[in-house]
Amino acid sequence: MEAVTDEVRQIIAKELKIPVEPLTPDTKLQDLGVESLDLIEIIFALEERFDISIPYNANEAPAAGTADAAGAGLGKLETIGQIAAAVQGLIDTKTSA
Amino acid sequence: MNRVVITGIGVVSPVGCSLEDFWPAVVEGRSAIGPFSVTRSERLSARIAAQVSGFDPVALFEPKQLGPMDRFAQFAVVAARAAVRDAGLDLSERLALETATVIGNASAGQTTLDDAYFRLYGENSSRLHPLTIPRLMTSAGASQISMDLGLKGPTFCVGTACAAGTHAIGLAFHMLRSGQAPVAVAGGAEACLTAGTIKAWEALRVLSQDTCRPFSRTRSGLVLGEGAAILLLEERAHALARGARVYAEILGFGMSADAGDITSSDPDGAARAMRAALRDARRNADEVDYVNAHGTGTTQNDRSETVALHDVFGPDARRIAVSSSKAVLGHGLGAAGALEMAVTALAIHRQTIPPTANFEEADPDCDLDVVPNVARQAKVNVAMSNSFAFGGLNAVLLAARA
Repeated sequence: MEAVTDEVRQIIAKELKIPVEPLTPDTKLQDLGVESLDLIEIIFALEERFDISIPYNANEAPAAGTADAAGAGLGKLETIGQIAAAVQGLIDTKTSA
Repeated sequence: MNRVVITGIGVVSPVGCSLEDFWPAVVEGRSAIGPFSVTRSERLSARIAAQVSGFDPVALFEPKQLGPMDRFAQFAVVAARAAVRDAGLDLSERLALETATVIGNASAGQTTLDDAYFRLYGENSSRLHPLTIPRLMTSAGASQISMDLGLKGPTFCVGTACAAGTHAIGLAFHMLRSGQAPVAVAGGAEACLTAGTIKAWEALRVLSQDTCRPFSRTRSGLVLGEGAAILLLEERAHALARGARVYAEILGFGMSADAGDITSSDPDGAARAMRAALRDARRNADEVDYVNAHGTGTTQNDRSETVALHDVFGPDARRIAVSSSKAVLGHGLGAAGALEMAVTALAIHRQTIPPTANFEEADPDCDLDVVPNVARQAKVNVAMSNSFAFGGLNAVLLAARA
């Protein structure tokens, strides 16, 4: 899980072109100024890296970075920690399938 | 300045390729959204679209003519033929010399491109069909119409994504108004349902998995469509002199750019385009009875369009009937604005306001009279048609009872 969290941090930093060091599991995407297109680019990068499919629909997101991916079983995608947990869950589902 | 009227309408649509099929489906809210069939669809997640069915190009074109034609250009030509026929216009050689052709497309020759690249990268073929370029080029719709009907006046395509059909009709209207041409064939055409294009739309995360529900609280995104609508625009005196049936008069056309986000529409940009159309028409906002909305069914667009309508119409925004035809027709991208202007002209002609179909639940963010599910007989003297494209390119037409 720690390894996944670290990779999620790296990916978000790379996509947003910001330094990775200040990013923690508690960092909120909204506080990083993430806009809707940034978010789908981050999701795409995560899918590519971990070979998973993240069922995110922009129409279910009240605002960028506060996505409550209802029905997708992903829970909140507000913080880096929550995203890492969702990614870990999808990786686990893949390997147990 | 000349006055400009609509005397002919031709459609190739997911609810049929004649006005006899098209208008009742729009009025009754019979949605064409459902399962679709495209080649190489195995890896698609999208399961629904509004696809044109029963369109047989072999029956409609000579083999030699069909060779260089992508599906989008076929749609364009068939709709243009229907518009001219519907107008009862005899295109004499002299008139054809002056007739303008202005066609909007967003993605143009996608079927050709998808097939060509599959052959090249998927099948490792070392050569492509020699007519690949004439088929896929964006201007092919306009060119094929001019060739099919022998139209030799000003002819070009307009590429403003989801507003292209509206921009095309608006530009043709301005040309007729200023006397550059007495007649124009104008509209939009799109055939964007290919595996590659749909995959690319999936990546934007805006497609609905169930259906298109514009302005409904339960809306879940947009649904891709395809088709074409072509209007026969005619200088009013020319139309009256030959005793033509007139659907509506075009009063004004307004454009603007958001200069903001590449995908999210901006209420201010949309409002400025609506105001520009009213100004162009020298009409006041309180004269408008009906707005055919852009209404894509995405969370963002419908909320933003509502804000823009309140901004432009003030207290009247709650009186004016606003409906989206995308629940029935899907989002035909470059064809959408033209299909919706066809709906708007027919609403004026038939004095009937078509509904927003698939409507489930009111959304406080879309506090408008969205004519849920059931059409209305009502006075429609002045109507507006909105198109707000990706890239922040906005186009609005205003029309009136003739």
